[in-house]
Amino acid sequence: MPSNGPNESNYSSGLGGLSGLFSLRRIGVIAAHTFTQLMRMKVFYFLVVFAVLMLFASFFDMPWSRTAEDTAEQELIILKSTAMGAMTMFSTLFAIAATALLIPKDLEDRTLYTILSKPVPRLDYLLGKLTGVLMLVAASLLLMDGLLSFILEVRTHGLITQEIAQGEAQQWPQSYIDFRVSAIAQQGVTWHLQAGIAAIFFKAMIMAAMALLISTFSSSTLFTIVIAVVIYFMGHFTSDARSYWLDNQQQSVSFAAKTMSQLGALILPDFQLYNIIDATIEGKKVSLAIIGRLTILTFLYSGIYSVLAWFTFRKKEF
Amino acid sequence: MTEPIPAVQIKHLTKEFKAPSGKANQGTQIRAVDDVSLSIMPGEVYGLIGPNGSGKSTTMKALLGLIAPTSGSCYVFGKNSLKTDSRQDIGFLPENPYFYKHLSGEETLRFYAKLCGMRGKQMHSRVDEMLELVSLNDARKRRIAGYSKGMLQRIGLAQALIHQPRLLILDEPTAGVDPLGSRDIRDLIIQLKERGVTVFLCSHLLEQVQEVCDHVGIIFNGKIVREGKLEDLIAIEDQTEIVLKNAHADELDQMRQLIDSSSESELIRIGKPKTTLERLFLNEAKKSAAKQQTTGETHAK
Repeated sequence: MPSNGPNESNYSSGLGGLSGLFSLRRIGVIAAHTFTQLMRMKVFYFLVVFAVLMLFASFFDMPWSRTAEDTAEQELIILKSTAMGAMTMFSTLFAIAATALLIPKDLEDRTLYTILSKPVPRLDYLLGKLTGVLMLVAASLLLMDGLLSFILEVRTHGLITQEIAQGEAQQWPQSYIDFRVSAIAQQGVTWHLQAGIAAIFFKAMIMAAMALLISTFSSSTLFTIVIAVVIYFMGHFTSDARSYWLDNQQQSVSFAAKTMSQLGALILPDFQLYNIIDATIEGKKVSLAIIGRLTILTFLYSGIYSVLAWFTFRKKEF
Repeated sequence: MTEPIPAVQIKHLTKEFKAPSGKANQGTQIRAVDDVSLSIMPGEVYGLIGPNGSGKSTTMKALLGLIAPTSGSCYVFGKNSLKTDSRQDIGFLPENPYFYKHLSGEETLRFYAKLCGMRGKQMHSRVDEMLELVSLNDARKRRIAGYSKGMLQRIGLAQALIHQPRLLILDEPTAGVDPLGSRDIRDLIIQLKERGVTVFLCSHLLEQVQEVCDHVGIIFNGKIVREGKLEDLIAIEDQTEIVLKNAHADELDQMRQLIDSSSESELIRIGKPKTTLERLFLNEAKKSAAKQQTTGETHAK
């Protein structure tokens, strides 16, 4: 008969963060479990859809787009636009749906009771769930990024070879051939493109934190998903709406109104700031400063939503 | 000498809930637990009994910090139950537990062990011990989704014990389990008691409570109506029980005459004591299993 006597020794409570407010190790345990849970729910099937979409996009020749001189770049832009549009849609929807589903499911199955009756602070539980979802979003984005980069690299290489052959046949000056090669390469796999994909992850991260917040007070998963999707779309217009309102009011806008609008912008995410995704699709360069600012902003938004989620969840009764 | 700290101390616990929407009394407060006070000393097995909806589970949830008392307080080994660290000493098995279906039995125990801060060799050996204890070694690699009701209850008990808690809280531990599985769980509770683990269990299966508990509280409509040592509560003070084996009819007649001659004593009943249906079932099951084994061995020869 194994030993079942009372626990005399205290087990390690894990590496504490923020002076013991949460345990990084315990968050890691819950995150790893959430990642496995989602993996075993076979959510990666959507990657097959993405792969098929990519194959279609890469072999789909659009003759009507070949009107301008820079048609080679146009093909690459279409490929990137299709892929990154799908990546944005998949990652955002997945982040919202998975986060909205996990806590109500734990409550329904009473697994939440067995977790919270262990020495697990509720903040650890919430952050663990969120991190698990984000780990899966990051992993799937990496896979999609890998596939996009591979196809883009192959297509870019093919187009450059074609362009050089055409230039030599038509006896273009070497400087012009070099210019064309550089212009096509700029639409290929670059670090700037990776920054655009990072911005897609940032958007998904914000939406996962938002869904987490809503799910702590929502009565149904469907409600959480619908509200989160509405907020996602609103996030693309809040900046325009605020500017329009402030411009129309001109001098009559009081300090309080301005503060309120800024507070509104803080509560509702402003996704126009994440427009670098479109810029990178067009092959534009993104500075490190912008990436840094977006990273800080993303952690700020996600942090605010997570703290609000914790405030609601810590007093929740089960 | 200092008094030992009670394993559980509930002081004037009251819990009110808002009446659910759609009901006639919507918006009013429903009192689920009404001024409950009880104390369980280390090593005791305490049974809280009462009908459905009497406040048993609410009391347990308050003790686990899953709900906050409207008034009053709960302590586990002197620590307020609303504080997370009080749960370091608690193992909990909820009624009809469900675990993550995508995990195997072994993975489930590892997950809960890690949540309690265990890791490495210590964790692996503890997981092995627990699987052995609840007789799920053969099913350790099988997904929980394929577990029977009894197996779920046993893995639930293993996760509750994984971090060697000093207090085990069991909510209807044998609900839906067949008599053999139920007997195993009761045997386990008795073994844990012998090892000094305090057990607090809720049940409405009174016979089982009587078999394992040494202290009992009866809760009705949220109020504790009787509480104390089981022996004291169930003893009928003005009656005496004599159990004889192989008694002759003449001896019984003599006893009857002796009692009749007394001015105060009154004979209430003479008859054969009855076994319980459960004991009968367990004996028959044991016999059938032994017979099957003997037949198997004969065939093998």
